[in-house]
Amino acid sequence: MIEKEKLKKYAGLLMFDMDEEEYTTLQEEFDTLLKQMDLIGQIDGIDGVEPMTFPFKNTDVSLREDEVGDYLTVGEVLANAKHQVSDQVKVPRVVEEGEE
Amino acid sequence: MYRGKSITELREELDKGSITKEELFSHANTLAHSFQEDYNSFVTIIDKPKFKERESLVSGIPYALKDNFSTSGILTTGSSNILKDYIPVYDATVYKKLKNAGAVLVGKTVLDELAMGGTGTTGHTGVVKNPWDKTRMIGGSSAGSAAAVSLGIVPFSIGSDTGDSVRKPAAFGGVVGFKPTYGRISRYGLFAFASSLDHVALFTRNVKDAAIVTDIIKGQDPMDMVTLKDDGKKYADTLDEDIKGKKLFYIKEICSKEFYKDYLDEELESVLDQFQELVQKCRDLGFVVEEVSMDQKLLEAIYPTYMCISCAEATSNNANLTGIQFGPRGEGDSIEQIMFDARTKGFSELIKRRFILGSYILQKENQEKLFKNAGRVRRMIVDKITEFFKEYDGMILPASGGIAPEFTATSEKVEKLSPRYLILENHLAIGNFGGFPSITLPYGFVKDMPIGVNITGRIKEDDLVLNMAHKIESVTGLKDQYCKVGDIDV
Repeated sequence: MIEKEKLKKYAGLLMFDMDEEEYTTLQEEFDTLLKQMDLIGQIDGIDGVEPMTFPFKNTDVSLREDEVGDYLTVGEVLANAKHQVSDQVKVPRVVEEGEE
Repeated sequence: MYRGKSITELREELDKGSITKEELFSHANTLAHSFQEDYNSFVTIIDKPKFKERESLVSGIPYALKDNFSTSGILTTGSSNILKDYIPVYDATVYKKLKNAGAVLVGKTVLDELAMGGTGTTGHTGVVKNPWDKTRMIGGSSAGSAAAVSLGIVPFSIGSDTGDSVRKPAAFGGVVGFKPTYGRISRYGLFAFASSLDHVALFTRNVKDAAIVTDIIKGQDPMDMVTLKDDGKKYADTLDEDIKGKKLFYIKEICSKEFYKDYLDEELESVLDQFQELVQKCRDLGFVVEEVSMDQKLLEAIYPTYMCISCAEATSNNANLTGIQFGPRGEGDSIEQIMFDARTKGFSELIKRRFILGSYILQKENQEKLFKNAGRVRRMIVDKITEFFKEYDGMILPASGGIAPEFTATSEKVEKLSPRYLILENHLAIGNFGGFPSITLPYGFVKDMPIGVNITGRIKEDDLVLNMAHKIESVTGLKDQYCKVGDIDV
């Protein structure tokens, strides 16, 4: 069974946490998930196949003209931010005194 | 009187003046409110719409939109606490196109949180119930959009489909669910889940309506790099083309009882029997339908392949949900603590589990074995299906191995390593792996619950898929179906 500490590490990398009970549930679920994942490795002839990252090659793609289109105003950009100051999103101090 | 009517029928009523668009909206709004407590289709019900005079088949027609499409000035939550107060400042292309065509938005529908789920039970405003039986789920993630059409509130709704999120709930709700070719419809303004698999898709109650809506929302969009050049076709105009001699295949390892052994119950047996009856009806229509065989191991790898790719892509796509620029602000003394707190409180347990799986798959030591191998299996599956498409015009399969599950069904009841679960409940993801156009339509009942059949075709042949589905619909006797639950008609 996968160690709980590893699961906590992966959660931390994605910047969130769960409670102990939730980690226990996930630990059990991982057992099944890993068995399912094993099925991927059992496919004959998988070596040498180029991994597919897109459904099909789209030949219709072209870069659009570099023209000014619709854009959001500062007010619109900030409309959903809870803390603002001087037309900017306010966050706790990042640069400590003396670091500047 | 107007409940359960199709786009075509409502168009006629509007054109001859027997009802106005304002009255039609009012009826849909009344239905939406009436069914909300029992079925929970909506996150937001619109009470004061803006009407536009437009010349189009959907002008004045009410519809519902999944709550993961941006609608300027209208709450858009993704059914997640992390976006519970988010009001977009721009419109998704699909919404803009429908607005410009004069369609009238009735509400934003509940989904599985951030579209990651297939049960309709994980939205932050509660579970969506199946109109045909309230003790059962309607499936997801486009749960509310499916229920709104199944209940006859609106004649069409928009959803998104990353693995089967429209085509599976369509089967469970007894309605039509169509996912066109990857890139046929712009995803600009749709919250990304897994970009290489995400499609815009739609629910209607008949195939013609699916063609009508697709005709309006399809087309290339400079705001979505993967969109295809418009094919210039009107799909609604080619539904009656002759299909005699068109060739369909079904996969033996999915449709034969012998492969299910201990997992074959009355429900599955009925699904497969009725499927064979439908296949015969297709032959009577003039289709050539043949059985083909495919490596069972490859089929069993569909679900883990889907999980690897979608969870990995999701971890990256949802990294912008920090509570800083939008969403509830977390607590803490540093920017990291604020984000950590917002994400811990904002995501539910289920999607945290999917994110952690995605993180695991992307760890350096697992990338080759899991992420890259999943990409390899994806290619092998798509290549095999494409090979079949050299000889056949389409693939026909049952959309699911059974009826909509009960809410009380425990995960222990579902044997997650069985071929029934791995293949039969998850094969619709093939349509997302290869971007193939794919449609589900109702074809029967088991225990008074609807079941659906799926037809998938070659990329960019959306017109042919709709044409073939339209013919098949004519022999199911279930065109225009909706659930007549509740003593309400307006």
